[in-house]
Amino acid sequence: MKNKGITFKRVLFWVITSLVLLGVLGPLLWIYLTAFKSSSDIFAGTLGRQLLFTPTLDNFKRLFFQFPYFKTLGNSLIISLGSTALVMIIALPAAYSFARWNTGGGHILFNTIASRMFPGVVAAIPFFILFRKLSLLDTHIGLILLFMYFNVSFATFLLYGFFRDVPVELEQAAMIDGYGRFAIFRKVVLPLVLPGIATTSVFCLIWSWNEFLFSFLFSRKVATTITVLISSFWGSIDVQYGTMAAGAAISILPTLIAAWFMQRYIIRGLTFGAVKG
Amino acid sequence: MANVKGSVATVNENSLGRKPTIWETLSGEKYFKWMLALPLIIVLLVFMVYPLIFCLYKSFFQSSLSGNAIFIGLENYRVMLHDINFWIPLGRTFQVTVICIVAEILIGLGLGMLWNRDFKGQNIVRGLILLPLLVAPLILSIVWNFLLEYNIGFINQLFVAIGLGRVNWWAPSGALYTICAITIWQWFPFSTSVLLAGLKSLPKDVFEAARVDGAKSWFTFRKITLPMLSPLIVIITLLRTMWLIRLFDPLYGTTRGAVGTELLDWMVYRTSFVYFDIGYGSTLAIMSLFLTMIIGAIMFKQLIKTLNASN
Repeated sequence: MKNKGITFKRVLFWVITSLVLLGVLGPLLWIYLTAFKSSSDIFAGTLGRQLLFTPTLDNFKRLFFQFPYFKTLGNSLIISLGSTALVMIIALPAAYSFARWNTGGGHILFNTIASRMFPGVVAAIPFFILFRKLSLLDTHIGLILLFMYFNVSFATFLLYGFFRDVPVELEQAAMIDGYGRFAIFRKVVLPLVLPGIATTSVFCLIWSWNEFLFSFLFSRKVATTITVLISSFWGSIDVQYGTMAAGAAISILPTLIAAWFMQRYIIRGLTFGAVKG
Repeated sequence: MANVKGSVATVNENSLGRKPTIWETLSGEKYFKWMLALPLIIVLLVFMVYPLIFCLYKSFFQSSLSGNAIFIGLENYRVMLHDINFWIPLGRTFQVTVICIVAEILIGLGLGMLWNRDFKGQNIVRGLILLPLLVAPLILSIVWNFLLEYNIGFINQLFVAIGLGRVNWWAPSGALYTICAITIWQWFPFSTSVLLAGLKSLPKDVFEAARVDGAKSWFTFRKITLPMLSPLIVIITLLRTMWLIRLFDPLYGTTRGAVGTELLDWMVYRTSFVYFDIGYGSTLAIMSLFLTMIIGAIMFKQLIKTLNASN
């Protein structure tokens, strides 16, 4: 790229780059375009009418007034926050323990990660029957517990990587200075892993927010989450693309914002801490 | 390191000159580390061991959701081995996994090599391609289903406009590949970003030396770049296998297992939650679990290895 002149290679580079970006962003942009289209424009058979249309808020109005949109949005929020809080309470001390003392010689850590391999549908059968007995089906608590279950292993492993980055010498120095274990954890370790805790929490929130299988199987009316509501817009007799797009446009916004601001940590999170992007 | 710290802790405890209280004993290293891990261990026992034992137990029975269970021994397993409705989705899952991983790694290598240089707006480009990664796969699959609709879908409209004519993306012959394409679309940014991070961290002097020695770029790529990236390629392959083997959401958003796209977990779901055949569903679930556990064991070793190498 040192050559400042317009060379064939330079043009090719930007053509490919723009095409890739268009391919990635196009479908996302399409959600937002569709959300502001009227039904007749959505079902129009020509490209012209699909691209040049008069924007309307009808889809949003229908979404807000004819469907329990805010209720499901609230449910998703409650369940995501609840499960993430629970995950952090459990994963934080455990990850610290694994990173500092190699508790269980790696076996427990392995089982933690193995539980993440556990196919969702496999766990769904026993939990469905158990939850029915405990009348936890279609409750917020039930879904919080399930989301906690599938996030806790991921969170533990990711935090484990962050805790390992804290030099043990710092803790030893604090110990010689007479600090107790809790004081060391609170005053020395915690401030250093704060970015790790933030990253892990955001990931847990997003996984819970996006979760579909469990919410679909374990909720009927009361605890329905946003993904379940959106999935219901298609598959019924008349396909409501406009409402679906409006719902999707709002509910993917937090994840898009998170993806933009967490750029540095996304790869680290998705690789369980193995690759520091 | 842990030993050094352990001795410090012991000194502290002994210096009290009396029998330690229960609280002091528990906060001693030996118990403290277990106390910290205890909540997680309990969660794992409840949420892992219980479903496992339940499914294993139920797999020996012929049982529905509410009806009586009849012990039939290994009959479910025998049926499964001869069940074409088990082997076909299993084969498909394998096919999807291979197609997606190969495509994602090839695209990732290509774009990684392309973007492994300084150019204007590089951070924006890298940030933008990450956007689809965190969006719910279910929502994206519904959107793609809409984009690929036969009559009004944007893609077919575009094809008509440029004179290619409509394509039936959900025909039985191609629907599985369409699902692969959607999955690849969402996940190629992952492999691209991982490989790009890897390429950026490679030592520059090696390439300099190769260039001075007059090595051709293809030779350099094959003999230097690729071997150095191989740990990352292994990580990508393992992580993606783990996710792909359990592909479910994109099926719900598109074909719902119809037109020859039923995959492993969809079949487990259908058997257990549509036909309510809990016994056989459990058998299939155990099988699905068994397959993922093998991959999981390999993946764990690799993750720890990479973590150790990067520290």
